[in-house]
Amino acid sequence: MSNTVYLDYHTAKPVDPRVLDEMMPWFTERFANPSSLHRDGDLATEALEASREKVAQFVNADNDEIIFTSGATESINLAIIGYMMKNRKRGNHLIISEVEHISIHNIAKYLERLGFNVSKVPVDQYGRVKLSKLERRVTDKTILISIQYANNEIGTVQNIQEIGEFANERGIAFHTDAVAAEGLVPINVERDNINLMSISSNDIYGPRGVGALVMRKRYRVNPVMIGGGQERGLRSGSEDIPGIVGMAKAAEIMQSEMDDEVRRFKAWRDRLIREVLSIIPDAHLNGHPTDRLASNAHFRFEGVEGEALLLSFKDKGISVSTGSACSSKTLEPSHTLISTGLLHEEAHDSLQLTIGRFTKNEDIDTVLKALPEIVGKLREMSPIYKGR
Amino acid sequence: MKSTSYSEKVLDHFRNPRNVGVLEGDDVAVGRVGNPTCGDLMEVFIRVDGDRIVDAKFRTFGCGSAIATSSMTTELVKGMTLEEALQVTRSDVADALDGLPPIKMHCSNLAADALHEAIRNYRSRGIKVNDSEGGEAFDKSCLIGLDEYLDRGLYLSYDEAEIFEGQRTLVLHTGDESLRAAIELTGVTNRVILLSAADHIVTTEELQRELESSNVKILTMSKLLEIRGDDEVEKVLIHNVEEDEDYELFVDAVLIID
Repeated sequence: MSNTVYLDYHTAKPVDPRVLDEMMPWFTERFANPSSLHRDGDLATEALEASREKVAQFVNADNDEIIFTSGATESINLAIIGYMMKNRKRGNHLIISEVEHISIHNIAKYLERLGFNVSKVPVDQYGRVKLSKLERRVTDKTILISIQYANNEIGTVQNIQEIGEFANERGIAFHTDAVAAEGLVPINVERDNINLMSISSNDIYGPRGVGALVMRKRYRVNPVMIGGGQERGLRSGSEDIPGIVGMAKAAEIMQSEMDDEVRRFKAWRDRLIREVLSIIPDAHLNGHPTDRLASNAHFRFEGVEGEALLLSFKDKGISVSTGSACSSKTLEPSHTLISTGLLHEEAHDSLQLTIGRFTKNEDIDTVLKALPEIVGKLREMSPIYKGR
Repeated sequence: MKSTSYSEKVLDHFRNPRNVGVLEGDDVAVGRVGNPTCGDLMEVFIRVDGDRIVDAKFRTFGCGSAIATSSMTTELVKGMTLEEALQVTRSDVADALDGLPPIKMHCSNLAADALHEAIRNYRSRGIKVNDSEGGEAFDKSCLIGLDEYLDRGLYLSYDEAEIFEGQRTLVLHTGDESLRAAIELTGVTNRVILLSAADHIVTTEELQRELESSNVKILTMSKLLEIRGDDEVEKVLIHNVEEDEDYELFVDAVLIID
């Protein structure tokens, strides 16, 4: 990727070389299974527990509140399906927001087929959940509320502390999908009133295929995968020690470097937003103007289709994302953009730029330089672009 | 296969589209297909001499393959007779581009349709098409949710602008007063959508100009079917007349001036 500009960090992140170094010995030399009672097995157990401690510290949880999984999707399944199944005698109602990640919408559909009830709370034009709307959806059967910490597309950060408090005051468990937020917002499950939280390793520059569910004391879930009983019976299957060690190292690095990193990202993000909105006519910012992830700049250019934008950037060696339907598997536009009140034709016009650990100042220069020409060329041939 | 796994020829026509632009004159006809709602809208222009296409141009809003197929279609038909051009199919266009990703075969390969429409329009030149007159009276009895949401996000008059502050507001086109309200609302909220069942807004020249220079988002050929939400307005169900399709739009307020 030497000559390319990568501004798609929300979609995938590289593994930090320091993380990879930490992982390597656990593939080849120290390969034992922590379930084994010999010395090699003990070494693996020690690494597993030391990793648990590092991840716990990263989110201010206790060590025994961390359950390692194969990634955010599995954590979310375990949290939501696991909690609803475990507590179904107390109620059968789940509340999620309209802007949750597609995996949560699909889990909700699955639960509905099993006989559970699901309500979706709408968001404002910036993608934020309002407590008054949440309140109206609570019933005496509501046992779980699941709202994302921040949005993976438009970067809007929710008022999580307030939502957590709202849920806890009513004796409702609160789960948050913190995948987009981790590493960009200081997460503290104690302060934020979070009872269940899903995180992934790759989103803090660890390897893919690893994640964790943070499960606070008193909040119990049923396993969704049955097997040998690892992770206190909640996540069976031999522990992926290299991956878990990698996630822990990634958390440790993130904890010490996040403040600096976020400050750096913010300056770039604000420059991108300021300059794009000033040099491109009829451009709009998606998501909240200030309460947004430091890494995220998300735009809409009237009269320009997102996939055509993406292809034009691709030709210049610049990797970006779009919420346009034309680039998705289903040919449906981004449900997040639709939920903020955009029309389908407007959701097609989007461009997502996300900054990460290895972004350089020149990358921002390159994008800003390329953008006017690309948008101009596509607008030139667009029959629906009104401005000139 | 990824939806963007394009052949070199598709990429070439996307990067260097041939014949971008419009044609004008008595010997010109245009065909327009697609809908921006679906992500694609194409216009193919043909200039005809006798029964032969002597020039072709296009304008397209759409993805990579929408642009490439438009470009290729205009290349293919130059010099063809109208009869020959009518035989050009979507798959001819796709073949000429060394194929398209399967998922793109239908949604973005509409240029041949636009061409055929241009030919039909050329042949029926001079025949006056009935322009549908706008401003059709709104029958409130057809709207589901009218009583339920009254003063819970639905308003029938526009007195206090503060109610709409920061609200994503849908204004129904019921006459000039509704247009003035929509324009004025852009002062208190950045999201005002004007909905009209007609294919264009019929009003005074002055209001027309004001509307065009305002931030009001205009949705024509659209009908309001239903207001939805948990105890207050949260979304509306809209019928797109052209496509004969219904879809939901998230809004906070609806203004219907009698």
